Amino acid sequence: MIDNKGTSARIRNTVIHLIVILLGLICLLPLINIVAISFSGSAAVTANKVGLLPVDFTTLAYSRIISDSQFWRSFGISVIRVALTLALNLVLVVPMSYAMTRKTSEFRFRNVYMNLLIFAMLFNGGMIPTYIVVKNLGLLNSIWALILPGAVPVFSVILMMNFFKGIPRALEEAAIVDGANPLQVLLHVMIPCAKPSIATISLFSVVGSWNDFFSGLIYMQKVKDYPIMTYIQSLSIDLQELVNNAASSSALENISELSNRNLNAAKIVVAVIPLLLIYPFLQKYLISGMTMGAVKE
Amino acid sequence: MFNRKLKKAAALTLAGIMTLSLWGCGSGSGSTSESSQETVTDPAGRGTVTVTMGRQTTANPKFPSGDSYEDNAYIRMTEEKLNIDIQDEFEAESGDDYNRQVSLALSAGTLPSMMKVASKDELTELYENELIADLTDVYNQYASDYVKAIYDSFDGRALDNVTYDGKIMAIPATASDAGTSMCWVRSDWVESLGLTVDEDGDRCLTLDEVRALAKAFIDGNPEQAEHPVGIAFNASLTGGTSDGTNTINAIAYALGAYPRLWFENAAGELTYGSIEPEMKEALSVIRSWYEEGVVDNQLGTRTWDDITSLLTNGQCGIVFGSWHIPDWLLNNVYTLNDKAVFTPYAVVSEEGKVNCTHANATGEFVVVSADFDHPEIAIEILNLFYDDLVNDSALLEAYPDVASYLNEGVDGTARPFNIEVKSNTYLLDEYGFLKAALAGEGTREEIPTAEERSNYDSIKAYQEGSGDVTGWCKIHSRTKGVDLLTYLTENDLYNWVTPVYPETTDTMNTSWANLQTLEEENFIKIVTGAAPLDEGFESFVSGWKAQGGDTIIAEIKAQLEQ
Amino acid sequence: MKSKMLKPLNKSRGQSSFFHLFVMPGMIFLLIFNYLPMFGLVMAFQDFVPAKGFFGSKFVGLKHFRYMLQLPDIGRVIRNTLIIALGKIFFGMILAIAFAILLNEIRMKFLKSTVQTIVYLPHFLSWVVLAAVAVNLFNLDGSVNQILSSIGIGKINFLGSNQVFRKLIIGTDVWKEFGYNSVVYLAAITGIDPGLHEAAAIDGASWWKRIWHITIPGMMPIIMLMTAMNLTSVLSAGFDQVYNLYSPIVYESGDVLDTYVYRIGLVGRQYSFGAAVGLARSAVATLMMVTANHLTDKLTGQRIY
Repeated sequence: MIDNKGTSARIRNTVIHLIVILLGLICLLPLINIVAISFSGSAAVTANKVGLLPVDFTTLAYSRIISDSQFWRSFGISVIRVALTLALNLVLVVPMSYAMTRKTSEFRFRNVYMNLLIFAMLFNGGMIPTYIVVKNLGLLNSIWALILPGAVPVFSVILMMNFFKGIPRALEEAAIVDGANPLQVLLHVMIPCAKPSIATISLFSVVGSWNDFFSGLIYMQKVKDYPIMTYIQSLSIDLQELVNNAASSSALENISELSNRNLNAAKIVVAVIPLLLIYPFLQKYLISGMTMGAVKE
Repeated sequence: MFNRKLKKAAALTLAGIMTLSLWGCGSGSGSTSESSQETVTDPAGRGTVTVTMGRQTTANPKFPSGDSYEDNAYIRMTEEKLNIDIQDEFEAESGDDYNRQVSLALSAGTLPSMMKVASKDELTELYENELIADLTDVYNQYASDYVKAIYDSFDGRALDNVTYDGKIMAIPATASDAGTSMCWVRSDWVESLGLTVDEDGDRCLTLDEVRALAKAFIDGNPEQAEHPVGIAFNASLTGGTSDGTNTINAIAYALGAYPRLWFENAAGELTYGSIEPEMKEALSVIRSWYEEGVVDNQLGTRTWDDITSLLTNGQCGIVFGSWHIPDWLLNNVYTLNDKAVFTPYAVVSEEGKVNCTHANATGEFVVVSADFDHPEIAIEILNLFYDDLVNDSALLEAYPDVASYLNEGVDGTARPFNIEVKSNTYLLDEYGFLKAALAGEGTREEIPTAEERSNYDSIKAYQEGSGDVTGWCKIHSRTKGVDLLTYLTENDLYNWVTPVYPETTDTMNTSWANLQTLEEENFIKIVTGAAPLDEGFESFVSGWKAQGGDTIIAEIKAQLEQ
Repeated sequence: MKSKMLKPLNKSRGQSSFFHLFVMPGMIFLLIFNYLPMFGLVMAFQDFVPAKGFFGSKFVGLKHFRYMLQLPDIGRVIRNTLIIALGKIFFGMILAIAFAILLNEIRMKFLKSTVQTIVYLPHFLSWVVLAAVAVNLFNLDGSVNQILSSIGIGKINFLGSNQVFRKLIIGTDVWKEFGYNSVVYLAAITGIDPGLHEAAAIDGASWWKRIWHITIPGMMPIIMLMTAMNLTSVLSAGFDQVYNLYSPIVYESGDVLDTYVYRIGLVGRQYSFGAAVGLARSAVATLMMVTANHLTDKLTGQRIY
């Protein structure tokens, strides 16, 4: 684009820079606030004195997390869950979406499958029937209940399909002429070409399964089996509700011990760290992922 | 061909799962159907029975390390004494979490052998769906005399609540009467201002005395606060229990108004307390106090926390609440100002009586699945925890880790049944022992419960100069709060009213939230003068009736006739 | 389906069986976890009694759907859902487009990529986490209220007032998503022929004029496609977000279809009624998706799926 070399252009440029920086700060500051809270003394937190910098700096909350076995148990459950979900998603989605890029002349039931996929994305049986199926498969309280119901993310299938469609047909045909069967084409031609988009759907898979709290709420019957986000969610308590419902005065005495806002903030920060760690590596696939879904060349 | 085989296998698996899934929920749990032999009732002779449970938990149970809900001292004792194996089917905190677990278990048609039920509606639903066992015979046969005496202390209100078509369908928890909402007064202020409160020494105040005291506190302003406040209330002015904290209940009750409760009025008609003429009178009193400046001029906008800070800042020296608010609300005042001393007074009616309502005797229950073959185990657990553990000191000697649980204050949710089964008068009974021990007329060892013994220790330590906040709290809640309740009971100063505690009706489901908002908003408007008293109250009553109130009254009447 | 599959070979049979093999494992999962539960939707037409199961419960036809239409709650819930969802779509798109245009003007590589990294981040965080962040900021004594009262506006009960709760929901969602949503628009801007801008600049067109007459028209296909895609989600106002931020005080303004179905159908144990509301919602959503797909196909030549 061209820059007008006038003063008005310079003013405009400064204003644009300021607005963009401001928007960046608006996104960043709330997150800094929670980090500051996690490093502050609980008195300062309860008095709402913490802004962007810790008040009465302490790492007490973090040292308390280290000895919190439930936190690490949930953390571990989520790590395993994310790994298994990712593996399963890729194994199911990549071959499926490759097959779905075939024309009906090559793959007669392509359209039948496609409609099944789309319908599954739009329509569902609801919480209770899905729960009944999961329960009757004996999956309750098992990590598989958090993995299997989301084994085929249809949106990722569509993304991959669109990407495969963009790969030049010639590459594929060369391999077929050499006598490769579709599995070989997929493994040796398509997948190497599709690395960026595989990274993209991996990102979706990891982020989605790390962040999901609801399936833990439904399929896990005890707190000890909760994945990390379900566990974090269960920490938020409604004090007024507790006061209203407390059965005895001794229950009420517990309340003051429960409102550990700095401890909870620290747990939240630790629970976000894994995403922050992979974020820089995967950020560059964002653009391709997002544009693939919406814009087809 | 591989492809074909795969498809066939897939089709078969799928068909299998489908049948399983769809039939599975119809046939209930299959696991218990084997042991349908004759019920053997001797714990040793019946063989180890597996009992699955739905457990209500709390976020901070204070277990010693290594213990959990499924494996703790209480559970181990129960398993050993009764020869059973307790397995938790689900564990969840009270409220939404627990209701969700119950609902999910129910949706799949499989209930745990025993579980807690948190509302009467749910109990009714379980009964109507024939999912829970009839406990009449096992209760009559196995419940100990002590347990039966506890339930009888509620004059039938406890068991009637769980009786359907003459059958006892659940083990009810008990809720003893909460007593009156007290007027807690900063007595150190009274002293420093040289006032006299309660001249006749009957530990009761009239409405005029309350008003005068609040006025004197504002005028005297002993802590030189910037904006002294006479009396502050919650934005929802009234409470549904007699002892409602930060509510106008004490004042309303003194005028014979029983807000948020259903009862039969003088004419024998079922009515809702908040729409009775007495309620208008109560509102008019608060309205005039507000006008006078005795009641907080920011009424309606202050949150619960704001009111607490008024007290801790020394802006306000009068607060209404139950006997136990020193333990969890007033403790904040002492933490910031160790000179603070409170004295509770009851608020009396013109006749010099303290009007009070009986609590809903049972709001929580334990039910036994209809598929479970040993319902007597539920009664045995009941006896073990609410009779033996209370009365049999040998049991604690045999299970020292249970004794240490009691002393360490491990949360009651650790017990297999998270319910309280105590006589209607337990609070006063237990306090009697504490009082005697403190006066030197009894001993610490004679105090029957661990909680009261630890209260004794805290109070003793405080009296010896520890200055500890717990000691201050217990002195206030027990030797002042419960002591006042005891005084009222012993001197026959109570005038008891028995409300009706209905089940949630259809119209309540759809309109109750609206009606509550209508009530709260109108009351605030009337009290703060934003609406005229007479027309304001009349339009509230007619609005309340028209928007579902009348229908609900009719529905409750129909319920009562059943 | 099965009999069709077993029909005689055609010429691509060899390849075709590979493709079946590729699709089959995923399909099995879909059949079990997506299609099998759909049979459970029969409960929407029953008075479902769990002890009796799907086969034993009494069929009541459209009773629950009729009840749904009579219930005053439903009107409120649908209103909230539409207001919140449309608010999110509208303000989210405006901000994302504006941000993309502004970001495109930034020449400093480092600043540009730093800001991008930051604004994309909230999209990847769970509402469980962000709700905790929002509660810390927006509660009565939180930082936002401290700022508001220090500049003389006075405290606002964001989380507990029916006047502002919806605005809070819309605002925090726009905050979370605008950065990430700007990615497509930024890509679209980069796709516009720079020659157009050059020509316009030579003709003396101002920056505003060029944005208005070149950049925005150039983005139009994407904007339309995104609008169509977004409108299909107009019935889902974001369960995770609302569930983690609302409370009974703000049911009146914040309760949306998904939270309502959860509360009534699951926690409240009105299984059949919950299923009926869920079914109606799914049906409308499907209809909208199909319509949107046709519309975008016609208007832009692109299909959503």
